[in-house]
Amino acid sequence: MAASLTIKALNLYRGSEHLLTLDETIKGGEILTIMGPSGSGKSTLLNWLSGMLPKGFSAQGALYFNQQDISHQPSHLRHLGLLYQDSLLFSHLDVAGNIAFAMPKGDKQQRLKKITEALSQVGLSGIEQRSVSSLSGGQQARVALLRVLLSQPKAILLDEPFSKLDSQLRSEIRELVFSQIRALKVPAILVTHDYSDASAAAGKVINITKESEHA
Amino acid sequence: MPTLLIALLVLPVLGGLANVILPAFGWLPALGENALSIKGFSALFATAGLTNMLMLSFSSALLSTLLAFVMTILIMASYFNSPWLGRIQRLLGPILVIPHAAAAIAIAFLITPSGLFSRMLSPWLTDWQAPVDWLLPHDPFGLSIILGLTLKELPFLLLIALGALSQKELGKTLHAQHKVALSLGYCPITAFFKVVLPALYPYLRLPVLAVLAYASASVEIPLILGPNTPPTLAVAILHWFNDVDLTLRIQASAGALLQLIVTLFTLTCWLVLEWLVKFFAKNSLTNGQREYAGQLIKWLTHLLTTLLMSVIVMALAGLILWSVAGFWRFPAALPEKLLFMHWQSAFSQMQTPIINTLLIGFAATSIALFLTLLTLEAEQQRGYELSSLVSLLIYLPMLIPSIAFLFGLVWLQEQLSSRHAYFNVIFSHLLFVLPYVFLSLASSYRLLDKRFAQVGASLGAAPLKVFLQIKLPQLLPAILVALALGLAISFSQYLPTILPGGGRINTITTEAVALANGASRRVSSVYALTQMILPGLGFLLAWLLPKFIFRHKDL
Repeated sequence: MAASLTIKALNLYRGSEHLLTLDETIKGGEILTIMGPSGSGKSTLLNWLSGMLPKGFSAQGALYFNQQDISHQPSHLRHLGLLYQDSLLFSHLDVAGNIAFAMPKGDKQQRLKKITEALSQVGLSGIEQRSVSSLSGGQQARVALLRVLLSQPKAILLDEPFSKLDSQLRSEIRELVFSQIRALKVPAILVTHDYSDASAAAGKVINITKESEHA
Repeated sequence: MPTLLIALLVLPVLGGLANVILPAFGWLPALGENALSIKGFSALFATAGLTNMLMLSFSSALLSTLLAFVMTILIMASYFNSPWLGRIQRLLGPILVIPHAAAAIAIAFLITPSGLFSRMLSPWLTDWQAPVDWLLPHDPFGLSIILGLTLKELPFLLLIALGALSQKELGKTLHAQHKVALSLGYCPITAFFKVVLPALYPYLRLPVLAVLAYASASVEIPLILGPNTPPTLAVAILHWFNDVDLTLRIQASAGALLQLIVTLFTLTCWLVLEWLVKFFAKNSLTNGQREYAGQLIKWLTHLLTTLLMSVIVMALAGLILWSVAGFWRFPAALPEKLLFMHWQSAFSQMQTPIINTLLIGFAATSIALFLTLLTLEAEQQRGYELSSLVSLLIYLPMLIPSIAFLFGLVWLQEQLSSRHAYFNVIFSHLLFVLPYVFLSLASSYRLLDKRFAQVGASLGAAPLKVFLQIKLPQLLPAILVALALGLAISFSQYLPTILPGGGRINTITTEAVALANGASRRVSSVYALTQMILPGLGFLLAWLLPKFIFRHKDL
């Protein structure tokens, strides 16, 4: 059975202001794209999904992973991988350390082997010991992706992950991210305001507009 | 201008150190000693209990700093994303301005055999009808010293840690990285230790070392809470220096040098500990383990924080109760009668010390404020910032144990102007007030929007007019805070008052220390509370005055 992520009858509020309504199921390997202007509640949606809804926001509705209700699970038990526009690599660890940090516990040699393989798959062979601050933007984005993938997430949440990359790099990294999501058959949600991202995702696109523009 | 500021700070410290080193090797013309010898050191090493003194100085400094540091980290880890972090900070913040002597007195009265602590437990739990001698305070192991130092160090370290997190870029990145770690399945506490702490520690390092250096050579807290036979090295040096037998001053100088070595040794131990932790924790950072008894740590932190708050509240409550207590039978938790007699009688004796405190405080702080403003304005008019070496030198009086260079400075002052006791005291206070005033004012001065000054200049105002009529009014709130801070630092000084003043100038702090181990707990409480009220009033005024002055403006 393929994995699936279900958002059931979700209503999000900022204070008493209604932000958005959503009712969707995403199957493994599918990418649901959410588009909308800033302030429309895109990031609030990701915060709710990851269980980090900030103070002042509230939600009704439920989140299911394979029919299991995870709406009330604490963030760190949900295993939803996050990819932001900043790579947010840990500067006190080297490249291999950043990836190892995300991997499940296990035999040290085997974990190292996996890291080496993963790095060579994305064209980054031999940079295990490099410090993350010495990497280029594209290299950092790739390492951040590997960090999420090797943590074996149940689903992946993408928060405008390509918006800081220049156009050449952008389509390259985007292709890499999407092909990995499809290959691993994990459900993914992409939040963006870029149409080329949405069409490359090749899944359902939901536009949320600010309802209360006049208010 | 920076040159003058630095000279004013560095020369007295270096001059003081030189005047400790020379007598330590027997060169003291004033006493007719002018042949180099190691007499002082022989006398020092022949002192009974020297090893105990050294151990006491070393262990109380290292353990208290370690305890305060661990508590800071536990509080940060457990409340990283919780509103409690801010609340704890606001509760602990005011402790920063409580002078060490007052804090020590409050703790002494809490843990003494007839203190509030044993009263709370008696007789229902302990069955005690009379105070039982349990060695606290003044215990030979320095546990009371450790308690006192830890309570003073913790709010400072917490403030520094929160200050680093409030730096926009760093705080944002660390919070986001903490989120990443959570999304990777790390429990919040493990995420803090593996992701936030390694990035945050570099910002805590220097403050921790400063706290450690201070603790290893502090005088007020061991004087009030520590054992007498033998005391810590710093306290022993003070006794030797104040002894009527002037030849003991050679031994005191040798002791001051030994104190520098103890301080350096303590700092080295911290660095070694740091290295060991890094070495052994390195692999576990990336081993993938996501949970290490996080719940247990959280409960432990809740417990410790509650305990800490109770100790502080009880110590303050006890102090207030003693200051108004009439007859107070032992196991009773409250006095039978409340009266204000102690306050009245104390105030009649307190006038001179209060006037001295205010006089010295305002003189030293005004000079510090004047020099700081002049330096910062010169820096802006010339268009360059102080070099990092100069910035480091400003901290010098905070980093070098004052007991090590103050004696030398007093020697120097005695040779130059022994009659001007007030001048000597004010000058010594300036050394400790200036760094704080400078640090407190520099950031707001540099953040000032330069366009206002440029607009003023374009309208034809001379730099002096721009400074007086545009910058100063805009900086008023910051200046008032710097003033309150400077006053609080000056009010709390013990050694820089007692040594250069030759014991002839009494302030609230010197009186409070002198009375601390004396007969009347009630009078002593009044002095300790006055010590807390004075700086508190300063900060209250600094907070209220701008509101009053700008009351007609919609700010």
